[in-house]
Amino acid sequence: MLNTLKDIVRKSSIHVCLVNTGGCNGCDVEIVALLSPRYDLEQYGIYVHSNPREADVILITGAVTEQWVKKLRRIYTKVPEPKIVACVGNCPLSGDVFNQEGGNVHAPVSDFIPVDAEISGCPPRPSEILEAILAVAPGAIVSKGRDAK
Amino acid sequence: MILPIGPIHPGLKEPLRLKLHTRGEKVLNAEIDFGYVHRGIERIMEGKTWQKCIYLSERVCGICSYIHSQTFAEVIEEISDVRAPPRAQFLRVITNELDRIQSHLLANSTFFKAMEHETLFMYMLSLREHAMDAIELLTGNRINMGWNVVGGVRMDAKQTHFDQILEKLTNIEDDFDRYVEIFQQGPLTGLRSKNVGKMSHEEALKGRAVGPIGRASGLKHDLREEHPIYRENFEFKPIWRKEGDNFARTMNRFDEIPQSIDLIRQAIDNIPDGDIRKQVDIGSTYGEWRNEAPRGEVTYMVETNGNLIKHISIRTPSIMNIDSCAKYMLKDVATVPDAVATYATADPCIACAERVAIIDEDKGESLKDIFNLKY
Repeated sequence: MLNTLKDIVRKSSIHVCLVNTGGCNGCDVEIVALLSPRYDLEQYGIYVHSNPREADVILITGAVTEQWVKKLRRIYTKVPEPKIVACVGNCPLSGDVFNQEGGNVHAPVSDFIPVDAEISGCPPRPSEILEAILAVAPGAIVSKGRDAK
Repeated sequence: MILPIGPIHPGLKEPLRLKLHTRGEKVLNAEIDFGYVHRGIERIMEGKTWQKCIYLSERVCGICSYIHSQTFAEVIEEISDVRAPPRAQFLRVITNELDRIQSHLLANSTFFKAMEHETLFMYMLSLREHAMDAIELLTGNRINMGWNVVGGVRMDAKQTHFDQILEKLTNIEDDFDRYVEIFQQGPLTGLRSKNVGKMSHEEALKGRAVGPIGRASGLKHDLREEHPIYRENFEFKPIWRKEGDNFARTMNRFDEIPQSIDLIRQAIDNIPDGDIRKQVDIGSTYGEWRNEAPRGEVTYMVETNGNLIKHISIRTPSIMNIDSCAKYMLKDVATVPDAVATYATADPCIACAERVAIIDEDKGESLKDIFNLKY
């Protein structure tokens, strides 16, 4: 009984923390555009604030610069269980154009923390980001929540 | 007491650490810690052809990505001593102004979020979507457009495209005046913005503030006046204000939006027929080109060797604006929430600002010292 109730609550209220680990901020702008009345993220029960201690989903953009190498892991540990990590854009997946000779990045993100969802694109369209969060987040949070017990 | 804000903070889109020196609620001074978004983009560009570099230059910054690729294309054209065909230049003006509209709306929406006027925040974002639609219609992409090439633009636009863009602009204009009025005449928005985060004319000169931030403090300077295509074909006067507070900066950005709409209308009315792209033989010399980005003056200094980029140096407006924000605007702000709002009006774009980290090995510095890393 309690578990079913927990599942329902977890599914219908997803808190998102946005972490920019050093990209061109195009993806961040698209995530801000998600808040606009046209896409209206909050009608699906998703709330974007940037507080890792309250988040269920961490959205990671950017290609992990020098400063973020240690901090990314630290932020991940601060997020309470159950948590999922979604990478937005090409940068956290491969480093995109920055991951070549002369670049000062440490992509991919999966070297540092486990990644649950990957959204490619430079940057992906807002609708794609929304679709991916909705496809992965509710189910994954519920199953991870069950595992944690 | 030193109050750290960031790098992850609800008010900031991008990572940056703001250290506020406070006594009680009053902010005495501020420091800024950079280095969270340094990717080494200039170093990557060295030794590559322009086809690769224009792609990289677009990714210096996501919000004003268009102007970076335009400036890069124009500096290579300057080096090669050619100019893009007139039609391509008019198309560049249209896209540039559309980009300015969306960037200004986003900047103002961030300020409204920071001062907790949620309604205007949503209004701004929904207005911005019209501009994004117009950009997507013209160039095929929302953020990184990949539309400029050296010697012109990639795709031509038809009259039907222009008609639809004009329609989107009317959509923006329909609501725009009402939203400005809400901000201008609301008593509470006035309390949060008037006389907060003041920067005087002298301070703006000292801090080298540029763009709408400088213009709001009385620096009557807009590089579009000096750009050949604007100078020869468009009626244009820079908009500026005297107050230099949060209200002036926000209103300055608001006032520039109808001006941009007017410029797009002028461009669509007078656009000449002809080619959109020209073949360019790239010269080997040093060149420099300046443009007015949404946030101020952006400079590209490039040295080429045949087809390859030998050395490139990019100067973006944000670095001066953030610096003058920390030194002058945040000084003596009454409360911490006002400090965050003031920081938001400076329209910081961290991805723009971070490209170079100089490590003086003779002095025994290492990468750790530069970034204040504590392992």
